Amino acid sequence: MSGLLLGAISADAWIETIFSGVALGAKYALVALGFVVVFKATGVINFAQASLVLVGGYLCWNFAATWGWNFYLALLASMVGGALLGLLLEVLILRRMSGEAPFTLIMVTIGILFVIDNIVTAIWGAEGRDLPDPWGLRTYRFGKVDIAVADVWTIGITVLVLGAFFAMFRLTTLGLAMRASALDQEAALAQGIAPKRVYQVAWACAGAVGAVAGVMLASGSGSLNPALGLLALVAFPAMILGGLESPGGAVIGGIIIGLVQQLTALLAPEYFDWIGSGFEVVSPYFVMVIILLVRPTGLFGQKEVRRV
Amino acid sequence: MKKQPWLRLLALLLTLALGAAACGGSSNDDDDATATTAAGGGGEEKPAGDPEPTTGFDGTTIKLGVLTPTSGAASIIGKPLAVGNQVYFDRLNAEGGVAGKYKVELDVRDTAYAEATAIQEYNATKGGVLMYTQIMGTAIIKAVLSQMKQDGIAGSPATLDADWIREPNLIPLGGPYQVQVINGLDWYMKKGGGEGKQVCSLAQDDPYGDAGQEGVDHAGEELGFEPGPRVDFAVATADFTTQINQLESAGCEAVVLVATPLDASGALNKAAQAGFAPTWLVVSPGFLKLLYAGDLAPYATEHVKVLSEGGNWGDESIPGMAQMLEDLATYGGDQVPDPYFAFGYSQARAVHQVLEKAVELGDLSHEGILKAITSIDELTFDGLLGDYKYGAIEDRDPPRASTIFKFDAAAPTGLTAQEANYESEAAKSFDFG
Amino acid sequence: MAAIPSILTRRPPGGRPHHRLDLDGSRDLRLLKGPWAKGFAVALAVAYFVIPGSLSETTLRTLCYCGVYAIGAIGLNLLTGFTGQVSLGHAAFFGAGAYCSAYLGSTRGWPFLAYIAAAVVVGLAIGGLVGPFAARLRGNYLAVVTIGLLFLAQHLFTNWDTVTGGGSGVSVGEAAIAIGPLDFRSLELGGLTYTFVQGMFWLIWAFVALTALLAKNIVRSRAGRALQAIRDRDLSAEIIGVQPTRYKVGAFALAGACAAVAGAFYALLQNYVNPSEFGGRIGLFLSITFVAMIIMGGVGTVFGSILGALLVEYGRRFIAEQGADAPLFGIPVEKGWLTTGELNGVLFGGLIVLFLLIEPRGLAALWLRIKTWFMSWPFSY
Repeated sequence: MSGLLLGAISADAWIETIFSGVALGAKYALVALGFVVVFKATGVINFAQASLVLVGGYLCWNFAATWGWNFYLALLASMVGGALLGLLLEVLILRRMSGEAPFTLIMVTIGILFVIDNIVTAIWGAEGRDLPDPWGLRTYRFGKVDIAVADVWTIGITVLVLGAFFAMFRLTTLGLAMRASALDQEAALAQGIAPKRVYQVAWACAGAVGAVAGVMLASGSGSLNPALGLLALVAFPAMILGGLESPGGAVIGGIIIGLVQQLTALLAPEYFDWIGSGFEVVSPYFVMVIILLVRPTGLFGQKEVRRV
Repeated sequence: MKKQPWLRLLALLLTLALGAAACGGSSNDDDDATATTAAGGGGEEKPAGDPEPTTGFDGTTIKLGVLTPTSGAASIIGKPLAVGNQVYFDRLNAEGGVAGKYKVELDVRDTAYAEATAIQEYNATKGGVLMYTQIMGTAIIKAVLSQMKQDGIAGSPATLDADWIREPNLIPLGGPYQVQVINGLDWYMKKGGGEGKQVCSLAQDDPYGDAGQEGVDHAGEELGFEPGPRVDFAVATADFTTQINQLESAGCEAVVLVATPLDASGALNKAAQAGFAPTWLVVSPGFLKLLYAGDLAPYATEHVKVLSEGGNWGDESIPGMAQMLEDLATYGGDQVPDPYFAFGYSQARAVHQVLEKAVELGDLSHEGILKAITSIDELTFDGLLGDYKYGAIEDRDPPRASTIFKFDAAAPTGLTAQEANYESEAAKSFDFG
Repeated sequence: MAAIPSILTRRPPGGRPHHRLDLDGSRDLRLLKGPWAKGFAVALAVAYFVIPGSLSETTLRTLCYCGVYAIGAIGLNLLTGFTGQVSLGHAAFFGAGAYCSAYLGSTRGWPFLAYIAAAVVVGLAIGGLVGPFAARLRGNYLAVVTIGLLFLAQHLFTNWDTVTGGGSGVSVGEAAIAIGPLDFRSLELGGLTYTFVQGMFWLIWAFVALTALLAKNIVRSRAGRALQAIRDRDLSAEIIGVQPTRYKVGAFALAGACAAVAGAFYALLQNYVNPSEFGGRIGLFLSITFVAMIIMGGVGTVFGSILGALLVEYGRRFIAEQGADAPLFGIPVEKGWLTTGELNGVLFGGLIVLFLLIEPRGLAALWLRIKTWFMSWPFSY
């Protein structure tokens, strides 16, 4: 049995691949959590989350490498910076668009994405940067299996952020207000909930989480570069898989996507070479399309109630 | 149906418009007339005469195109290349220009490293430039090449593909990737302690990766070793764990890395984490100091060799280098030491030699440039790059020497030559067809 | 009571009604309403013939691209503007059409009309294939899933190399562009020769007119009203007897066909196609460009699609050509901190946001406003 399953691939390779899939998935999940918090409160799919990720990463690099701050302080500062940027976007643009069709909202955030991405490369340049994170290339060694310290941190932070979201949505009045206003804005208004505050908090959260995601994507074996926004594109399938409004779903979706990608890279050359090279790049979308055909609102999404 | 007066008006106006449109065409006689003048303007009959003004040359100024990414992720390469082009021509213009009297002007256009944009920019500029002093990116050059042949316009590619050697419209410079890999492996086998070691490759799944692999295969034949597996990856791979695992389990002791900087550093970082430490032979486009100088620095210093050309940055004993550093200081603005800058500078130098030849032949036109390319015997670079044998297209022969650099975080460009201008028999025997 | 029948007759006894007063449905559905529209149509027709003779090659080429994008944008407007289905996968259809030119036209040597017809069929087929899946999804989910289409298309284009030439691309230089005796590669009329770009201008803009007319006829028919009913409230539409799935699939097929024809012309203009142009990041950018065109031009108007294509493509080329020396805050762009490429990106994104904030119905609405102002003068307020 094990011979059949493992074939030419060693057990260590399996373990390392699966762990790297989970770690990669945690990175996608961090990006996807930023999407979810905005969607849950405001009903906007925020394409500009990719720019918040980019800005957060570069801010942290700027604080830590250029200005020589302590890394953890720089991380906190970049979260504050990301939150401020998110807040600014809400106040200046998104507030004026509330209640518009999904199509319009998507395009507004795409417009923002183009503006911010180009300004980021204009300010910090297109050069790849190495983030001075404390984890570097260190690894924990279990027998013959190496596990990167930075990956362990990424998974830990993802769990932490998920826990914080869970606590916020379930335990605080603000979270309750967010859920209520996402469910029915008018009814929430009638209950005395100020949607403006809810929106501001959601966007600020997205900015802060985006900064964390940016830093984690660039830490360890990664590097900071304008193409990080591309990785955020892969977080779309993660978010959609889990269902747009479920933080837990985003994390599970992220891990599924990460695993699928790494296992495709491992198995495709060995067992299904006919599928063509580079299928690991496409596989997340493939999985997304298949799951959505079975469940049109994702694995954990709420079924939409439609009225005439 | 009732006859409508506005339809009649429409018909009348259309007739008039057709008449106007006819003015836009050119009659066949005119075409012949222009062709004769063009042929009469150049040619061998009166080589000493001043060249006639044509497209991209108004009698005093030569206009050259640059198609390179100045926005997006690839601008990290495109920007220093374009500065290299500009600095060389700034110096030249200060000295009077081509043949001491024709100033050179550059029209830099952003391709965003996308074929579609590049083709549009090419078509938008081709009516106003004499030739292209830089076209950046293998895919981009492939995209515009058939059009360039149709239009009879020449250009210099900013990549080292072997495909360009036999293209009459291109002015390649530098040793191709195949030569880099063969020299690198020859050096590794003979001087780098690689005798009898398992050699593998980690290559991009596209023609660039294939070019590197050709070098590995040729070196294997010439040096008598059996190359190990080639592991493929897609551009912008998020995590190299599986690829590194494959190399590790195949027992690779040297890996030829054919990639661009982001993927290369991603793979090296992962290898460092996994404790996988072969000798890495990195083909020149895979190196970028900023990405190697961080956490990766200790690993890179010990295990990474970069295959490129020329000598150390700042080595004033190389005449080409001394001149370049002087020009950089005078005209370079805030440009930092960068191998891409040096390549752009050398490229302008190659194009300058073609322009001088064209002026000598008395024909600064698109055809004149093509003729000048085949009339040059050799493109020389004073040690910045290896000299390139020109002449008839089928006689072109790229330089066969490469320099094996080691990573050195303290050096201006991050590289110090370990073995300069290494020219192996195996590289000399590679046939480019 | 006596006044009601007199309104319903065409000529009431007390004089003529205002010419803007439509008394029956058929007048409201006419293609060209009023003398101004007719005059405008004549002016366009005149411009069609005069432009190739009077503008530079570079400008003409830009206008050719504008025409190509206009054909695609009209298709997308049918899908997004009239039916309310968001698609970010338009570039995949566009690519399929481009490969019809490259493979059938250039590699296999089919005649021009044959491979254009093949592009229509391929576009209809892929649209019809994607449609039923898309009809299951709504709004946000649909938008993201159509992005998936781009990645699948790129993988297919890259790996099906017997047809597409794979990652190193394929030339389209051998494709014939001739209708009967008219060879648009070097058009000869009455002893005069026209360049490739001049010929392509006439050819492409003729197809723009054709597509626009087709689209206009669809939207003012029963089918068009059904599409708009689905956009406005699909459940209500279903209740009054419109089958949403059928019409959604139809709209996808039509949009696919338009995009494929546009792609076929695009390949001819480019002379070379490569899989990365239609998939992944660059494909997404192309798809977004199409959406931006209909937003800036006017969502839900055929004419607006053309205006949008002109604004976006012409604007982009204008910045690329003139942007380097243009002063931005008093400093020429290339000497400042933005490159022209970056400036183009910022302006593109900024304009999308500004249009959605200030004039969500685009240039077409702006035009309508001006027209109404003059029409109702002197009571325009």
